[in-house]
Amino acid sequence: MMRQGKGRFDSALGFSELTGPIGWAVRGAVYALLLVVFAGPLMAVVVGAFSRVPDPTRLSLVPDQFTLDNFTRAFERDVLLYLLNSFIVVGGGLLLQVTVSVLAAYALARKKFPGVHLVLLLILSTMMLPEEILAIPLSLVLADVPVIHVNLIGTLVGMIVPVAAWGFSILVMTEFMKEIPVELEQAARIDGAGELRVLAQIILPLSRPALGVIGIFGFTMIWDQYMLPLLVARDASQFTLPLALRTLRSDDQVGLGVLLAASLLALLPSVLAFLAMQRQFMKGLTSGAVKG
Amino acid sequence: MTSTATADPREEPGRAGPQRPRPARAPGRLRRTRFRDPAAALLLLLPALVIFTLFKFIPMGRAVQMSLFEVRPYLGDRWVGMDNYRHVLTDPDFLDAMWHTAVIAVTQTAGAMLLGLAIALLLEGTARHLWLVRTAVFLPTIVTMAVVAEVWRVLYYPAPDGVVNSVLAWIGLGPSQFLNSADTSLSSVIAVGIWRHAPYDMMIILAGLAGVDRTLYEAASADGANTWQRLRHVTLPALRPVFIILLTLAAIRGMRVFTEIFLLTNGGPNGSTEVLMTLIYKLGLERNELGIAAAGSVVLLAVTVVLTLAVQAVRARRRA
Amino acid sequence: MFHRKQGWRGLPKLVALLAITAVGLAACGSGADEPEQDPDAALEVWIRKPPGAPTEETAKELAAAFTEQTGIPTEVTALFDDFETKLQQAASAKDLPDIVINDTAQLGTLVEQGLVREVDRDGIEGADDLTPASWDAATGADGAYYAVPFSAQSFALFIRSDWREAVGAEVPTTWGEMDALAEAFTTGDPDGNGEDDTHGYAVPGSTKRGYTSWYLSSFLWSGGGGFLDGEPGAFNPAVDSPESVEVLEWFQHTFCDGLVAPGAVTAETSQTHPVFYGGQAGIYFTGPYMMGVFDADLGAEKYEIVPLPAGEGGEAVSLAEGENVYLMAGSENQEGQERFAEFAASVEGQTIGMAGDTDGTIVRLPVNATVDMAEVRTDERWQTFQQIYQESGRYVPNVPEWTPFRQMAAETFNTVASDCEADPAAELGGLADEFAEELEGQGAAG
Repeated sequence: MMRQGKGRFDSALGFSELTGPIGWAVRGAVYALLLVVFAGPLMAVVVGAFSRVPDPTRLSLVPDQFTLDNFTRAFERDVLLYLLNSFIVVGGGLLLQVTVSVLAAYALARKKFPGVHLVLLLILSTMMLPEEILAIPLSLVLADVPVIHVNLIGTLVGMIVPVAAWGFSILVMTEFMKEIPVELEQAARIDGAGELRVLAQIILPLSRPALGVIGIFGFTMIWDQYMLPLLVARDASQFTLPLALRTLRSDDQVGLGVLLAASLLALLPSVLAFLAMQRQFMKGLTSGAVKG
Repeated sequence: MTSTATADPREEPGRAGPQRPRPARAPGRLRRTRFRDPAAALLLLLPALVIFTLFKFIPMGRAVQMSLFEVRPYLGDRWVGMDNYRHVLTDPDFLDAMWHTAVIAVTQTAGAMLLGLAIALLLEGTARHLWLVRTAVFLPTIVTMAVVAEVWRVLYYPAPDGVVNSVLAWIGLGPSQFLNSADTSLSSVIAVGIWRHAPYDMMIILAGLAGVDRTLYEAASADGANTWQRLRHVTLPALRPVFIILLTLAAIRGMRVFTEIFLLTNGGPNGSTEVLMTLIYKLGLERNELGIAAAGSVVLLAVTVVLTLAVQAVRARRRA
Repeated sequence: MFHRKQGWRGLPKLVALLAITAVGLAACGSGADEPEQDPDAALEVWIRKPPGAPTEETAKELAAAFTEQTGIPTEVTALFDDFETKLQQAASAKDLPDIVINDTAQLGTLVEQGLVREVDRDGIEGADDLTPASWDAATGADGAYYAVPFSAQSFALFIRSDWREAVGAEVPTTWGEMDALAEAFTTGDPDGNGEDDTHGYAVPGSTKRGYTSWYLSSFLWSGGGGFLDGEPGAFNPAVDSPESVEVLEWFQHTFCDGLVAPGAVTAETSQTHPVFYGGQAGIYFTGPYMMGVFDADLGAEKYEIVPLPAGEGGEAVSLAEGENVYLMAGSENQEGQERFAEFAASVEGQTIGMAGDTDGTIVRLPVNATVDMAEVRTDERWQTFQQIYQESGRYVPNVPEWTPFRQMAAETFNTVASDCEADPAAELGGLADEFAEELEGQGAAG
C-alpha cells in the first residue's frame, strides 16, 4: 500500500520529500539548524577531549593545542575496565529487559484478566520514586534477596537483574501493541497457532518501531544507571562508566579535558547502538502499511 | 488504528455506566479465552512482577516504614511518628520547591513535546540522510547528564562573550546571567531540560508516525485535504495514544527532576531553582537523615499519584 | 491506565498493597551487639579519595606498611563521589568497614548515628605527639574522642604573580589592597590580550556540600565575624554580629561590582579551579592540594601563595580542617583498629602519607608534631600552609552536627552573593534565628 503512495505519503508532513532547488535549500537550512542546536554543543565534547586546556568559558570547534594526553590519563584511571563493565551490564540487561517488557506488554495489551488496571498502576508507580531515595532500602535487598537469600553485592549480575523490568518499556510496548488489529491475531489462532507463536510471528514483527524505541531507551537507561551500580559495586573494579565519570568530574586533580575524553568514550557505543536500533524503525516504517 | 474500530481489548463487562459497544468477536473464542486469559497473563507478567516486587515494591515499602523513624542502624531506629513529615512540610522552602517543581514539570513536558513533535514531523522519512540528522539530534539524550551539565555551564557562561550570549547579541538581546541570576535560572534549567528531552519525545513520536495508516493519508488527499488539514484530522488523532504515554511519563519524570538541577545549580542561586528532590536531598540525604528523606519522598510519591489520577479523572470526564 | 475512568479504582488497592509490604518489613532488627573479637582479622579500610588516583596508591602503601609491621591484613577501598551513600549503605547492612579515613567535619554525623566508637586517647601510643588542635578536631560535642587525627590543612590566597606585576601592584596585606588588586585585575587587562575578559576573584559559590560557607568561613573569621559564640554545649549565634554583617557586605560588593568571575554563584570547586588556571580570575582562596594541578596547567612561576590578610577589626584566620582515622562500630578487630590508627599517626605513617612532593599526598599537613615536614617535602610552599595552620588555623565550632549549619549558612551567603538587592544584615538576622533553632534542636544552645 505504501508503494502505491510512491513516497508521496512517506511522512505526515511531506517535508522530507520536498524537492527542487528551493525545497532542498529549505530542508538544508532546517537540518543545519537542528544539527547546530542539538549536536553542536556536543562537538565541544569531541574538541575538548583533544585539547590541552579546554577554555572553561568558550566552546571551540578547533582543538586548542591538540593532544592525546586526556585519553592517556583517562586510560590511567582504568576507563577501559569501566567501559568493559558497562558493556557487560548493558548487554545482559537489555536482553532481559526487552524480553520481559514484550511478555508483560503482550499480557497487558491482549489478555483479559481482573486487576489489569491495578497492575498498570503498580507499574506506573515503580517510576514515581527517584532512585536516590530508594537507594538504601534497595541495597538491603541486593545484599540479601528475599526468598532465595542470595547476595548480589559485588557482582555484575546485581546490576543486571534489577533493570530487567522497566515500567517505561512495558507501558510503551503495551500502548503500541494495543494498536495492532485483533483480526490478524485471530486469524493466526484459528490456524491453530499457540500463544508464543502468535507473539513471535504476528505481534513482534508489527511492533518493530516500538521495539526500536524500547531498545534505544532501554540501552540509554541501563548505560546511564548511576545509583544501582554504585550500590552493587564493592569497589572501583566493578564500576561502570557513569560512576567513573562522576568521580572524574569532582576530582580536583583531573581537568575538564580528561572528563571529556572519558565522556567521548562513553558516547560512542550509544551512538552505534542508536544507529543499529534505527534499522528497526526503517523496517517498522515499511511494515506499517500492513495495518488497517 | 482508530480506537472505535478495535475497542479496548481489556474492556471489562458488567461495569457501571453507559455500556460501550462490545468488540465483534467470535462467540467461541470468547468462551474459550475467558478462563485461559488470566492464567496466560499471569505467566507472561510474572517475570516483570517478581522483579518489581523485589527491587521496587519492597524497597518502597521499607522507605515508607523508614519515614516514621529516626534511622540509626547501630543505635536502633527511633519511632518519631509524623515528625519527619512535619519537618519536610513545614520547611519554609517547601512551598517554593513545590511550585518550582510544578513549573518545571509543566513547561518542560509541554516544551519537549511540542518541539519533539515538530522535529519528528520534519525528520520523518526513509532517506539515508535523515538517519544521520536524527542520530545527531538524538545525541543530547544519550549523553550522560554529568557531561551535559558541564557543557551547558560553558554555553551559559554569563559574560557577554559567552556562547549563548553571543548568539543572543546577534538578535539584539542579552547578555543574560542565565543560571547565575534568580530571575533567569529557572528558565535556563528548563531550557536545558527541553533540549535534552525533546529528542526523546521525537523518537517515540516518530515510532508513532511510523504506525499511521498510509491509506488514511491517501484518502484525505483524495478528499482534497491540504497538508495542514491532513495533519490535524489524520495524523494528530492517530498519535493520541503516543501523546498520552508521553504526557504521563513526562509528568512523572518532571515531578522527580533532580540530577539536572543538582548538577547545574543545586537549587541556587538564592533558592530560585529549588525543587522537591533537591530539598529532600538537603534535608535528608546530605545530613544522612534517612527518615526525613524517606518522608519527603513519600510526599513526592503522594503528590505524583494524586496528579496522575487527577489527569486520568479529568480525561475520563471529558471523554464521558 | 491510559483510558477512561479507571484511575481511581486502583488507588485503594495500591495503598493497601504498599501498607502490607511496609508492615511485612517492619520486623527489622535494631540494637547493636558486640561482635566476637579476633586480633588477626583483616581490616577493611575506606578512604575518601578518587579510585585510580595517586592518592589511592599512597593509601595502599600506608596499609601495606602497617600489615608488614603488625601482620594484620588490610584491604583498602578508595571511594569518592557518594562516599557517604556507600557508608550509609554499609551501616544499614550492619557491615561497616573497620577503618574510615574521612573529613574531620563528618565527625558529628558519625557520632550521632553511632557509626564510630569512642577512642581511649590514653590507649593510643604516641597520642601526645599529635597536636592539640588536631585532637580538638577529633573530639565530639560531649568532650570524648571519637577518632584519631591523621591529616590537617589550611588555606591561602593563590595570586597570579605575573598579572600582579603587569598591573604594578604589591602583594596585598590588607583587604583594601586585596580589593584594589582585584579591581586592577578586572579592569587593567593584566593578561594583555586587549580584551575585557579577566576578573579579580574566583569563588566556588554553589550551595552544594555547603561550598559557599566553607569558602567564606575564613573571610568571616578574618573580618572579626563568626558563626557561633560560646563553648561546646552553650553556643549562641554570632552570624548576625556587626562584624559578620560587614564581611557579608564586602562579599556582596565583590559580586555586585563585578570583581568575581561570572558563574560563581552556581560553581562547585572543580568548576572553579579552571577559572583560575584558565586565566579568568587572578585571586583564588584554596588549599595546598591544588598546587599540582596549577603547576601543570598554569606553571608554578605564574602564581604565588600568600596568607589571607586580616580584615578590618579582625586577625588573619584560615579555616582549618583535615582528616581523621575513624574506628568504625561493629569491628571484630578493635585491637587492630587502634593499632592502625596509631600507625597512621606515627612518624612513619605520616611520612608515607605525605608522599613527598607528589600529588599522591593523603597527609596534607602532618598532625604529628615530631614530624619534620621539610625533611619529607622540598617544596617550600607547603611550609606556608603549615605556618598558616599553626598560627591562624581555626576549625568549625564543635556542635554535635555541623552539616546543617554549614548548609543553612551556604544558602544565606549564596542569596547575598546572587541578589544585589538583598540586605546582608536582614539575611544574617534570619540565619541567626535558624541557627538558634538548630542549636536548640541539637541541645547545644547557650
